[in-house]
Amino acid sequence: MAPSSKLRAKSRVPTSLFDPRQTPGLWFIIPAAIALLVVVAYPLLYGFYISLFKTNLLTRWEFVGVKNYLRIFTSSDFLETVFTTLIFTIGTVAGQFTIGLSLALLLNTKVPGRAFFRTILIVPWLFPEVVVALLWKWMFNPLYGLFNDILLKLHLITEPTTWLGNTATAMPSVILTAIWKGYPLVMLLMLAGLQAIPQEQYESAEIDGANWRQSFFYITLPSLRKVIMISLILNTVWWFKHFAIIWILTQGGPIKATSVISIDIYKTAFESFSFGPAAALAVIVFFIVFFISFVYQRLLGRDD
Amino acid sequence: MKSASRFLICLTIFGLTLGFGQTTLKIMSSTIVENPEGTVEQAIADAFMAANPDITIEFIGTPMNDIFKTVTTNAIGGELPDIFTNTPEFAATAEDLGIVADLNEVFDAEFLAGFYPTALEESTVNGKLVVLPWFTVPVGVLYRADWFEEAGLEGPQTWDEFVNAAQTLTQDTDGDGQTDRWGFAMVGSKNGSGFFRFTHLLRSQGAWELYKDADGNWQSDLGSEGMVNALRIYQTLNESGTVPPGVTETSYGEAVSLMASEKTAMMVTGPHTIGAIIAQNPDLAGKIYSVPVPMGTQRSASLGVGGFSIAESSKNKEAAARYLQFLVSTENMLEWNRVTGRMPAQIEAGDQPQISGPIYAGFVEAIGYAKPSPQAPFYTQIQEVMGEAYQAVLVGGVSPEDAAAQAGAQAAEIIKNAE
Amino acid sequence: MTRKQRQRFHMTAVFITLLLASSFVIVPVLWMFSTSIKTMEEMFSLPIKWIPEVISWNAYKRIWTDYPFGRYIFNSILVVSGATLISLLVSSLAGYGASRFRFLGRTAFLTFLLITQMFPSIMLLIPYFKLMKTFGLINTYGGLILAYISFTIPLASWLMLGYFDSIPKELDDAASIDGASRWRTFWQIVMPLALPGLAATAIYAFIVGWNEYMFALVLASDPSVKTVPVGIGELIGQYRIAWNDMMAVSLVVSIPLIIIFLFLQKYLVSSLTAGAVKG
Repeated sequence: MAPSSKLRAKSRVPTSLFDPRQTPGLWFIIPAAIALLVVVAYPLLYGFYISLFKTNLLTRWEFVGVKNYLRIFTSSDFLETVFTTLIFTIGTVAGQFTIGLSLALLLNTKVPGRAFFRTILIVPWLFPEVVVALLWKWMFNPLYGLFNDILLKLHLITEPTTWLGNTATAMPSVILTAIWKGYPLVMLLMLAGLQAIPQEQYESAEIDGANWRQSFFYITLPSLRKVIMISLILNTVWWFKHFAIIWILTQGGPIKATSVISIDIYKTAFESFSFGPAAALAVIVFFIVFFISFVYQRLLGRDD
Repeated sequence: MKSASRFLICLTIFGLTLGFGQTTLKIMSSTIVENPEGTVEQAIADAFMAANPDITIEFIGTPMNDIFKTVTTNAIGGELPDIFTNTPEFAATAEDLGIVADLNEVFDAEFLAGFYPTALEESTVNGKLVVLPWFTVPVGVLYRADWFEEAGLEGPQTWDEFVNAAQTLTQDTDGDGQTDRWGFAMVGSKNGSGFFRFTHLLRSQGAWELYKDADGNWQSDLGSEGMVNALRIYQTLNESGTVPPGVTETSYGEAVSLMASEKTAMMVTGPHTIGAIIAQNPDLAGKIYSVPVPMGTQRSASLGVGGFSIAESSKNKEAAARYLQFLVSTENMLEWNRVTGRMPAQIEAGDQPQISGPIYAGFVEAIGYAKPSPQAPFYTQIQEVMGEAYQAVLVGGVSPEDAAAQAGAQAAEIIKNAE
Repeated sequence: MTRKQRQRFHMTAVFITLLLASSFVIVPVLWMFSTSIKTMEEMFSLPIKWIPEVISWNAYKRIWTDYPFGRYIFNSILVVSGATLISLLVSSLAGYGASRFRFLGRTAFLTFLLITQMFPSIMLLIPYFKLMKTFGLINTYGGLILAYISFTIPLASWLMLGYFDSIPKELDDAASIDGASRWRTFWQIVMPLALPGLAATAIYAFIVGWNEYMFALVLASDPSVKTVPVGIGELIGQYRIAWNDMMAVSLVVSIPLIIIFLFLQKYLVSSLTAGAVKG
């Protein structure tokens, strides 16, 4: 966690970290800590370790030091790939948040049929990624696709467009698919968060003459701060590493329009079977998302 | 045979010590999850088990898209099935991992002599026979014989004829002012399906994406005149409107659907596609003929071997060999061909009348032109460069000359980095 | 406008917006359904047909007869329920511990939770397999459960931490004055108040596990333990996608999820009263 949060923890809680009254906390976290240490620690260390080798993981282990990293940093299109990945991530996460939070706010009203809407709006999340990706690929299809059909009938376009086959529209199309798949999680988390805000707070704010905008910025958002922060961090981390939807929709094309870093990792690892360089790329991704989450915490931080 | 009998003895002793003689063979197969392929494969396994009651076969179905990832993971984890689907593309990696048995030691030379020599050659790495060929999928051009006849055209032998046929057959059949039939179902996606098809166009122009020169150094023709010509042919086909919209998102599956829904006249592919098309549209049976990939300065084809490997770690090599020998009989290969359209890997089965006539003519001819693909660890990177080059020409507005120049430079960089 | 009129106007606007948003879900899902009842021949006919000329329910029969989806659904329910229950238990403990105590290593623990999510999962495939092999967990329910809880615990713990934080600490203190143990305070007093968070977390853990493909494919390849997404993956062949079967399965297997969601969502709402305690 950011150092600042440590400081605050000290200043706010009037006890020392060594206070024996605080140690029961350890017992509560031990199951989670052990489960994760057992399952995740070794794979993570393994990933870091093999990034220093030229290896097929079985018969050849040649220590190459940081050579795999050097090659990545000197390659001409590494920065471009990172940039493309950032565009995809920002577009997807921002879209999911805008839509997820808006829908959660709407569903948190006393609108008739809200149980029905809640159920319908969660549905995209229920399908496996590959089904979602294939479904959307089919809907984007210039000949058989639903999209062109509907847009033509509504006279919004005059001739069929190749959404995924055009360097300008491919990325927005991929992002749209990712938003469709992922907004329900944000919606669900925000909805649960909104439910925890006591109604009285709004009522007394209203009595004090606050309009809805003031209520939103002074009551709703601050109450959701923690859940927003954690889902922002994790969504960013997940979508930065995302692979399946892009792979099925465009394979990173046309040309390099949607060529994100996880496609590089996949191809290096399981098409070229160069595990060392693939692990090096993965380690770089690790540090990039680590940095991003650090920034988030500095901006939204204060976990107490 | 000597080693086979050694395995047999080991196996018997092993069986006796444990007190039972039942062997379970685990087979990881990609075709077992396909339809109708899986039905045939299961029937063959059932027949084998009926004839060999001491062996039980358990299939582990894994989709082709995931199979080499799964095999690699299992191998590194030390838990490989006895037999697994393999192809020449993965053969070198499998041999590098040391996970495959040398089939020259498992089968006798007389039995192996029954296979097409090119099929064995493609399946051999460092002198080891890594894959037992089960079928071939030679590449050629499928075309709508009925439409060609109507238009007074013959199956295209050269790329000029191909482009001409594509342009002639691109039509507005219902007269509403919009094209509703196209000449060519081009696979322009940036994946294996797209790379594979462009590769044969490229090679027919006398250029190889990757090869070893006389001194044994890797070379690439991606920056050559042949590459420019190949890209220009794609450009011409696309810009003259003979390709349906969305060329870069047309992968294999979309192209098959275009053929099956009678939207396109030609497709570069293998004989198995006939089965896939007819499954979607039974009316097309007998209307699709084949020719080899058209001539540029030369012919190009690949055999497209598919088969099985026996794991080096398998404790049941003898039983595995017995099953594979049973599997690749002439009779089974013909049944496999009848149902799935894939062609036999054995000469005797390939010579049967079933594998003849205009439907297979192009593919049979193509077998004669087949050359193996280069086996280099960085081959997929070269393919990637190629894919970006044709997509740049198709949708990026880049000229064939510029795209080739860039591809050539990138290929050179990849080769240099690999050394 | 009177206050009542204004409110009705507001509600109508909200309703219409939600209706529009829902249509973005309903149209693709109807398209899936339409695809699932088409024959192979009609799948690619032009112009697009919403209602096929020949309606075929065969895909819905085939998923039970041609493929062992009954078995896959059973496996999925078992694995995913197990993983969900364990995640819930472990993460609510962790969330409570981190919310109520300021012990040494708390911050490190919370950071560690996030770090476990930061490595691209495709590179974790091989070490996970090796690890499960060491534990003898390949092709077992336990192996998949272990893998899935490692994916869900981090977000689940953080979420629970957030929900526990929103429950006033005075409640704990009051309970401990009454002589309740830490454990009883957690279990009988705080947990019931955290139900909405628990419900959201349960839905999250369940759906993540239910849809996971890559690890299930590699860690549980034996037909006796295969899960639903792996079964669906098999319908996407190298040479042909069984569109109608795939869509039929996807729709059918989402029904258990919808039922679970319907069941859990009443807890999502119940906090309206729970929150009032805070007052």
